[in-house]
Amino acid sequence: MRDPTLLGVVEGTSGSSVRVVLDPETLSGLVYIQGQAHRIGQVGSFVRIPQGFSSLFGIVVQANSAAGIVEGEAGGGRNLVVEIVGEGRSNEKFSRGVYRYPTIGDEVHLVTEADLASVYGSETNPEHVEIGTLSSASSIPARIDINRLVARHCAVVGATGSGKSTTVAGILQKISDASRFPAARVVLLDLHGEYEDAFRNTGRVYKVNPDVSRGEIQLAIPYWALTFDELLPMTFGQLDDTARGRVADWISENKRRSAASGKFGAIDPSWITVDTPLPFSLHQLWYDLRWEIDATYPRGQDQLPANALMEDAGDASQLRPARFRAYDGQNAVQSRSTLSVRRPLEALASRLRDPRFSFLFRPEKWMPDLSGEVDKDLDALLAAWLGDGGEKSRPVSILDVSGIPTFVLTSLIGALLRLLFDSMFWGRKLSEGGRERPLLVVMEEAHLYLSSTDSSALQAVKRIVKEGRKYGVGAMIVSQRPTEIDPTILSQCGTFVAMRMGNSQDRNHVSGATTESLKGLLDLLPTLRTGEAILVGEAVQLPTRAMIQKPPPDRQPNSSDPRVVAIEFSEGESGPGGWDRKLESSDYADLLKAWRRQEPESSRVKRGEK
Amino acid sequence: MHRIPVVSSNIAEIGYDEVSATLEVMFSDGRVYQYFDVPKGTYEQLMCASSVGQFFNTQIRGIYRFART
Repeated sequence: MRDPTLLGVVEGTSGSSVRVVLDPETLSGLVYIQGQAHRIGQVGSFVRIPQGFSSLFGIVVQANSAAGIVEGEAGGGRNLVVEIVGEGRSNEKFSRGVYRYPTIGDEVHLVTEADLASVYGSETNPEHVEIGTLSSASSIPARIDINRLVARHCAVVGATGSGKSTTVAGILQKISDASRFPAARVVLLDLHGEYEDAFRNTGRVYKVNPDVSRGEIQLAIPYWALTFDELLPMTFGQLDDTARGRVADWISENKRRSAASGKFGAIDPSWITVDTPLPFSLHQLWYDLRWEIDATYPRGQDQLPANALMEDAGDASQLRPARFRAYDGQNAVQSRSTLSVRRPLEALASRLRDPRFSFLFRPEKWMPDLSGEVDKDLDALLAAWLGDGGEKSRPVSILDVSGIPTFVLTSLIGALLRLLFDSMFWGRKLSEGGRERPLLVVMEEAHLYLSSTDSSALQAVKRIVKEGRKYGVGAMIVSQRPTEIDPTILSQCGTFVAMRMGNSQDRNHVSGATTESLKGLLDLLPTLRTGEAILVGEAVQLPTRAMIQKPPPDRQPNSSDPRVVAIEFSEGESGPGGWDRKLESSDYADLLKAWRRQEPESSRVKRGEK
Repeated sequence: MHRIPVVSSNIAEIGYDEVSATLEVMFSDGRVYQYFDVPKGTYEQLMCASSVGQFFNTQIRGIYRFART
């Protein structure tokens, strides 16, 4: 009897693609093998080409039927184009890449669920995490190799509404499952405040305007942890070379003084630069520079600070400058300082006063006093973000940057990522470091700050994707506009989770960045269902079309579409909103309060014990 | 606010705070909403309605202001 799994024979090969002529007796549509339904010739399904003791596995990327050929003759000219993806030997693990290529006339078989199970590994491999099920065989779990997913970086791409954030939440929940990975470590940059609900029990939310009653924590990014180049545009803006040098000298000098207190361990002063993460007071810097340019001196005397004609010392912490006797050309002469920083100093003072920047310039316990003394050092910050095994430690930290003024957002994200990378880099030999406890950094809406301009965020991410593997920093780039992301970044992503995507430019960008010539498979992207993804790359054995398992309803990110019609016809029940309701009387004053407080919570919401 | 589970395809739990006349509704997808200035009588009717979901839809939705928590 004819083997029911036989599809046809190899007609020709070129590179990794194989042309298969279907056997005339092969039926189209559904066939039943061992009680399971299999679809013949579906694009994206697998075929097996037995080669003695081993089998080559391929994926169908095209199905054709030659026109004009008489029915019944050589299978009606029906043929498949198959991309070879790997080889499986009996009793051995499936391996990517092939030992030999098929020859003309080799039989091509349908892959049954039993074959698939052997490819995907039926036994649970400790490094595999189940994230959904195969689209072609829903009884077979789709697994990803989390070692490779994290270490070799990955990208989750798909159009708005294709289920991206739900997929990201689903994957992250799986890989931060406390029963399997109690020491998982994920930092998620959340640009729209979507993810809080999804990680209610496993995550901590840090945001600029926290609602403490919800357990949110103030996001503090101490300015003194930034490098000089990161700090400058956020404080002074433009400085000429003289002023730049002067400011850098002042900062290094004061950082050296901080280090001399000995509180930060023994650091050789000659190693301390303007970029060393040591505290100093920006208020004092402002005051000192203002003093230098404002001072007046008695005519004919040396311009030494002690000789200055100061009338009021002012107050650095209140940003009140010192006052000097007015310049009169006779007794009081102007300072000979050549610094031209009056305008940048005004800019700095206004930034220091701006409450929107208090997370940066008044970072709570990390706020240095005028002499540069701090309550808490950066270790407390890292412990909070990266988890320290304490009672409050959680595997996922959500850095909600939605309240950060947009004009500094890109630079600030750059600084944040650089901080995380540096901490992993310098901790590479320690148990806290990334080599022993890798860090996955999830970058939501990455196109917003990784466009092809030379931003600090782009530099930081490039460094993570290029060198992160060595120091245990993995990137997960999430975006709906892959075209707008710098191509070097995407090309460094080892694994792609590609969801529905209609835009052909975006698709080309992704297929260009993937390592495998699977254009045919990626051509399916416009027709994927919501929540369905094509997984290609290092973290999957085979390119896989899979339905990603959704998190439970109460642990999904709140990024679902607003409902215009909220009523469900069959039940007569409905959700809260929608156009299909009588309109209650509105209160825009409440909306305005939320806006002014920069906090979307209604002032009327009652909180209390649950 | 203490919430009581209810039988409905759309609503999971309902709570009420008498002092502020705030009705709290947890939908079955986990989202929690608060409705303001809901009279106690309405809350009591809601809790003993034959269909909680339909009562909510006709007597609360579109009548009282609300906010997601």
